[in-house]
Amino acid sequence: MTLPRRNLTAMLAVTAAAACLPIAGRAARSFRLGITPVFLDNDANLLEKLGRALFEASGFRVEFEQRRTYEEVTGLLLQGSVDVAWLCGYPYLQHQDVLSLLAVPVWQGRPLYQSYLIVGDEDSATRLNDLEGGVHAFSDPDSNSGYLMTTSDLIRNGRQPASFFSRAIFTYGHRNVVRAVASGLVRSGSVDGYVWEVLAAEEPALTQRTKVIGKSEWVGFPPFCARKDRMQEPHILTFQQALFALGSRDSGRKALELLRFDKLMQGEPALFDGIAERMRDLDALR
Amino acid sequence: MSQFFRIPLTARVTLVLAGLMVLLGVIASQQILTILNRVQTERIRELATAHVEALSVALGPSVLRNDVWEVYDTLERAARASDKGRIAFTAVSDASGLVLAATDPRRAPVGSDYAALAGQAHTLDTLSLRGAQPVLQLKAPLAFQDRLVGHIVSELDVGDLLAERSHIGYLLVFWNALATAGLALVGLFATRKIMAPFALLAERMSRSVGAPEPIPSEDLPRGETEFARLASTYNAMVAAVREKAEAERRLASRERFVSLGRLSSSLAHEINNPLGGLLNATDTIRKYADNPNVVRSSAELLERGLKHLRDVVRVTLEQNRIDRSGVPASLTDFEDLQLLIGPEVRRRAQELAWDIQISEAAVARLPSSQIRQILLNLLLNASAAAGESGQVALGAVEAQDGLRFKISDSGPGLSPAARQRLLPRQPVPLGGGVGLRLVHDLVQDLKGHIILSRNDTGNLLEVLFPQEQTDEG
Repeated sequence: MTLPRRNLTAMLAVTAAAACLPIAGRAARSFRLGITPVFLDNDANLLEKLGRALFEASGFRVEFEQRRTYEEVTGLLLQGSVDVAWLCGYPYLQHQDVLSLLAVPVWQGRPLYQSYLIVGDEDSATRLNDLEGGVHAFSDPDSNSGYLMTTSDLIRNGRQPASFFSRAIFTYGHRNVVRAVASGLVRSGSVDGYVWEVLAAEEPALTQRTKVIGKSEWVGFPPFCARKDRMQEPHILTFQQALFALGSRDSGRKALELLRFDKLMQGEPALFDGIAERMRDLDALR
Repeated sequence: MSQFFRIPLTARVTLVLAGLMVLLGVIASQQILTILNRVQTERIRELATAHVEALSVALGPSVLRNDVWEVYDTLERAARASDKGRIAFTAVSDASGLVLAATDPRRAPVGSDYAALAGQAHTLDTLSLRGAQPVLQLKAPLAFQDRLVGHIVSELDVGDLLAERSHIGYLLVFWNALATAGLALVGLFATRKIMAPFALLAERMSRSVGAPEPIPSEDLPRGETEFARLASTYNAMVAAVREKAEAERRLASRERFVSLGRLSSSLAHEINNPLGGLLNATDTIRKYADNPNVVRSSAELLERGLKHLRDVVRVTLEQNRIDRSGVPASLTDFEDLQLLIGPEVRRRAQELAWDIQISEAAVARLPSSQIRQILLNLLLNASAAAGESGQVALGAVEAQDGLRFKISDSGPGLSPAARQRLLPRQPVPLGGGVGLRLVHDLVQDLKGHIILSRNDTGNLLEVLFPQEQTDEG
């Protein structure tokens, strides 16, 4: 995630992270968790701590399978190449018939987050309509906060998303959206509100060059998902319990602290109703 | 240029040496800076080529897909990792020339025109540091899979290279200056050593004004060097000059007697004329010894004649007294001069004007012997110049600037030879007398000046003895 890049050097292979675990035994079963840099940036320290916490909680040696896009990670989950994936509400809903919610992070007391519309700090725009004709940065075409929210807002405003902006680019990372806006590469961007707030605390120099001109309604936080047909598999259930129990151990608390989560909880599909509405708006256009 | 030749020879040789060193330093420095420029240009070309090749490899697929973010992200990471921030700016466009991304997106926004950025940019082949600004602009095609997919324009910060060149330039100037100064100093010592015999020669020549001294035999260089020959030639020349000066001195002392010789015939006449009368008087006394009136009148005649002869003899003796040095001049000297010149003037039936308007005290500041010698020579010369029935005059006044003697005559003027003898610092021409030269030397000894002029009525020669000098005299 775009969280602290304190120890970030280069992408660490998930296996390497697991190999670092001192108590990892030969007998420990591996568990494959799909992630994307869209939400979770390549923070080796975070991955190492999360992996350790999950190992301690579940006994599984967690292998992080990282892909560039939600589409790729969702594909891995659907085809069974990963056991669980940390997705966005939008791809979850896209495949709601085959995917189940495993856990939803609780941030600032609620399992909810917003999408932010940001511009450069000196930009005169105050709302979405002011951004017409500019270059806009989305994070991922399958991201709720980084694509769906803004696109559906345009549809609700009666505008054509394809022609509203002079050019739309995908950065495949919420932090990259902030970088693109801050550097002036694009005029505006759609970004995960949770990521922006965490960045504002961790890298204020970056977010200070941007400003938020729009916030969406609160919708369900990006969830951990598994295939419905595998939900009853013991190791999936064990992993789910490990997620819920993260706060009960030091390692888990450290991981939650890094992620700025209160805990992870069993989420209801209704959390994502707002996203579902927007998907319908988008589908109506198609 | 003429100023240059006034500088001592030692310094001149040193200056020429230093000049040649400076010239050598300038040429060598130019060569070094040219080579440095070439090396730096090659270095920056290699770096630019590597930069373009790396970007082509890294960005080719992204540019082909028009992936703005990937291009930007790659450029930004490359800029952060670039050699000492050498790449100050890079923009990449697609094949149609629209900017995809730049390290400074505000300067080159997405979709802006690449040509506006690359207008004055160099290509890899023309990239050069010669006369470069601190930031070099470079443009290059972006090829991927052997086809043109875009363009790159970069700005290379070469300020450090230019500063390095400038620093080396200053170092070269400094060390060249130091080396030149050092060698000039060595050259100065060496030249002084080499030129020492000539300095000795010059010192000997200028030790006493007008009387060069020979180089002592112990100082003469050994061997058959140029200077040995020069020194012996110089010594021979000094000997010749001394002999000539001695001859002149002898001639000058003889001049006094020459002028006396000229006077002697006049004196003979002067004595001879009354002698006839005196002899007649003795005959008359003898013949009319018993006539007291005749004897008395003849005796008176004899007395007057003899007194005149006595005066003539006294003055002549006075003029030729051997030791008169230190005797101050007096107005009597002018009376004597009048007596001395009188016979010459009368012989030529000339008119003599005599106007002495100076006090006894003023004239006493001058030595008697020299002033008599000066004025007698000038008066004899004036008389000779005035010719038969001419006019000769002597005037003496106490002017503000000193004692001023004016000798004038109605003659045609001094000949060039005579003028040369009188005027200062003129070589004495061969032949002729030395009387006028003697006048010149005596006047100079008394620190006086001779002024020659000519007006409608004849020649005027003034001898001025300035006040302060006359005070000393």
